[in-house]
This record gives sequence, C-alpha cells and structure tokens, in this order.
Amino acid sequence: MQDFDVQVQNFLAQFSKPGTLEEVERGLQNTMTIALYGFIFGIVIGTLIAVIRVLPKNNIMPKSGKKIVRVLSYIRSYVIPKLLDSFCTLYVGVFRGTPIVVQLLVFYFVVLPLMGLAKVDSVTVAIIVFAMNSGAYISEIMRGGILSVDPGQMEGGRSVGMSYGATMMKVVIPQAVKNILPTLGNEFIALVKETSVVSFVGVMDIYKVFRGIGATTYEYMVPYLTMAVIYIVIVMFITILVKLMERSLRKSDRGR
Amino acid sequence: MIEVVNLYKSFGKNEVLKDISIKIEKGEKVVVIGPSGSGKSTFLRCLNCMEDPTSGAIYFSGEDITDPKVDINLHRQKMGMVFQHFNLFANKTVLQNIMMAPIYAVKKNYKRERKAYLLNLLKSKKKRQTIAKPVRINKKEARARSKARALELLKRIGLEDKANAYPSSLSGGQKQRVAIARSLAMDPQVILFDEPTSALDPEMVGEVLELMKELALQGMTMVVVTHEMGFAREVGTRILFMDEGRILEDTTPAEFFANPKTPRAVDFLSKVL
Repeated sequence: MQDFDVQVQNFLAQFSKPGTLEEVERGLQNTMTIALYGFIFGIVIGTLIAVIRVLPKNNIMPKSGKKIVRVLSYIRSYVIPKLLDSFCTLYVGVFRGTPIVVQLLVFYFVVLPLMGLAKVDSVTVAIIVFAMNSGAYISEIMRGGILSVDPGQMEGGRSVGMSYGATMMKVVIPQAVKNILPTLGNEFIALVKETSVVSFVGVMDIYKVFRGIGATTYEYMVPYLTMAVIYIVIVMFITILVKLMERSLRKSDRGR
Repeated sequence: MIEVVNLYKSFGKNEVLKDISIKIEKGEKVVVIGPSGSGKSTFLRCLNCMEDPTSGAIYFSGEDITDPKVDINLHRQKMGMVFQHFNLFANKTVLQNIMMAPIYAVKKNYKRERKAYLLNLLKSKKKRQTIAKPVRINKKEARARSKARALELLKRIGLEDKANAYPSSLSGGQKQRVAIARSLAMDPQVILFDEPTSALDPEMVGEVLELMKELALQGMTMVVVTHEMGFAREVGTRILFMDEGRILEDTTPAEFFANPKTPRAVDFLSKVL
C-alpha cells in the first residue's frame, strides 16, 4: 500500500481536475433530491395509509330510506374502508418485505417496460421508489403517532360538530407529528443513506461519483473516506434541523 | 327537544343500557345520578351519538340522529358537550380552541349550501326548486366575528388574559371553563355535561359549578351527569336515578332527596349524603 500522504495528494490532484467538482456537486444534488422528495411524498403516502388504517369501520346499515341509498351508504362506510385497509396492509407488507434495491430494479427493469415507459429519467424513478418505500415505513410510524394522541382529542372535535376528517387534520395529526418527529428524523436520515444504492439504476449519486474518482487511479481509500465524511456532515445537519423543528413544535407543552 | 325511544347499548356481551325511553324538554336541567357503572355516562354519550346505540332511536329537532344517513355533525353543533377530562385541543391556544368550530361551521355550511345549489341545477327544469345562489363567505369577516364572540365568551368566564395561553398551562378549573366556553361558541340548544367536576381539585369544583349555575339561570337546557348532590338539588329541575342500565327514578330533586321510592335509591343516598 502506498503511503497515505501520497494517496491524499493523488486524490487532491484528481479532485482539482476540471469538471470533478461539478460532478461531486451533481452527485450531492441527486442524492439530496431523491432523499428529500422521496421523504416528502413518503410522508404524504404514509399519512394517507395511516389514516385509512385507523379509520373506524362502522358495520351499520341506515335505518330508513330507499334500499339502494341504504346499500350505497353501507358500502361507503364499511366495505370501502375495509377494502382500502386490506390494500394498505398488502402494500406495507410488500414494501417492507423486500429490499429497496430489489424494488428499484423491479420498478426500473420490469414495471416501467411493462407500462411502456422505458425512457423515464432514472432520478424520477428513484424518487418514486423511495417515496413508496418510505411511505410504507412512515405509515406505521404515523399510525403509532395517531394512536398515541389521547382519544379525547377526537371526541372534543366531534362534540363541537367537526367532521372526523377535519378533526384529524387540524387536531390529531399535528399532535401526532409532534410526537413522532424524532422518529421521522430517524427515517429521513436512514433514507439519505439508503439512496446510496440508486447507482443500480444509473443515477449519478455521491457514491457513484466517488467510485468514479477512485476508479481513475485505482486508489479507493481516500475517495471513500471523503464520501463517508460527506454523509456524516449531511446527517449532522439534518439532526440539527430536526432539533430546531422539535423546539418550535413543543411550544404548546408545559414548562416551555 | 330530545326524545329517546327504547335505547339499548351493549359493549360486546355487556349490556350497559336497557330499554331507556325518556323525553327532555327545552329549558330543563336534567341531572343524572347513580352509582358508578350504572350507565349514566354511556347514556349521556349516546344522546349526541358519541357512542352509537345498539338499538333504539334518539330524536333531536325532529330527526332520528342514530340513523347513519343523518348528518350528525350538523346536530352536534347544536348539542354542546363538556367532558370529564376537558378534551381541549392541546395544540391550539385557548382562543383558537373556542374559535375553531364556529369558523369550521361557517365554511362547511357554505359548502353544503353550494352543493345543494349545484345539485339543484343538475335537475330537470320541472323538478328544479328555487334555491338562491349561496353568498360567498368573507373568510376574514367570519374570522373576525368568531374572534369577537370568543373574546366575549372568555370575558364571561373571566379568562381574557389567558386567550393566547395553551391548555397545558391552565389549571383544571380554568380548562373546564374554557371547555364550556368552547361549546357555548356554537350557540347550542342543549349542553351535555359528563362529570364536569370529577377530575378537578376540590378547590376548583366551585368555579365550574358557579359557571354552570349561571348558564342554568340563563335558561340553557342541560343534561348533567354528576356526583355533586348539592348541585343536583339546587340547580336541577329533574333527577334521573340510574342503576344497572335502567332509569329507576325520574322525578323532581325535592321529591327524590326527601323520599326516594326505590330501595336502591335509598341505599345510594344513605351513602352519598
């Protein structure tokens, strides 16, 4: 093995070549784009699934009215929630049961060609897969958060004539999010790091850029170390951000 | 005003309410008392369908509100409810707690009217009714109005200075007064109280009962589940004594406390008085 100093020198030389910095920038941008959009859409998907799963399933038929109206109302208040619930269970099972790499590959090389969409940008593909994947995980986090909110909050909202959905959106979910914020931060950090597999479908992310730098000189030690440091810095940055958000959300708590 | 017909409620195999039929008139102050586990809270919670009855009907302003077809939210706007554990929205300030439902109601009612108007337009000319186009609501004005109303209510309960505080910083008695103000903000026709003073420190019971007395004097229809016998005697116009899911006595406070008819009531009174 060459002297470490020499390796660092080689790496710096490689790094100062024109275009390399731009490559790193692009890699960083791709990584963060996929993680951030994946996370945001993941929250949307996760919240949707969580709400469907905690939805009350009222197995009651209206007493009066035309038969068709009664049956329709029964379908709306019982059959549809039940079906959606089973679908969500299946969804979560599939996405938690397979590795993210497998999901990426299947989506890119099986689902897209079957749909006749072979020319979709691979970053978009990665965002979609990461959103669906983290949606499955976030749905369980969010469900736990919703269940952790005192059921009295829902009763309070319903008692003044607000609908289930409105109370959920305005009262329960904000409190649930506050409770699960540290866990959500965790999920985002995990997501940022998991994006390092997107090169499987050809996305130029941080990993692929540094592998490229290493490959030109066959010296991987320093590039990979630098890559590790970049990941750590990103994660630390997120940690601070989550802490700040938590502080601002905790203002309704006792003894602020 | 509220009519309950053959109401049954069971939780699994446990039958909590057995064949309850009762009529509550406007302006009455009905106090429901009885030993714990007698079904009084469940009875109260059935009145606004917080618990869905197993069978039976509850009529409120002429409609059977146990029918899933009926828009229960619309009826609940007119039936306030005060809980043992306050159930104030923890993520909202006192002012927001009180303003939230009125603003929601204004928006929702506009949407409902617009829907009726649009559906009417889809009908054939013969069947079409004359419905005026609903006036678009001015959100700012609606907000300002409900804010003024909320501040007025806060003043009435003596907590103007707590308008921007969060519920977690209030004492139990203050929370319960805010909860009462929150239900008053909807101008309800009746308020249901579910053991409003049971979770309070003894010192704070007084302030809440005082507010309830004031409401009673102003003619509010009230249904109160409580263990405060003094309140029942002083404010109530009618006593329902419940045990094991049935109403055993339905009489005036004077009559009930002076000569209870059933042995169960005699036994209960000998323990609590």
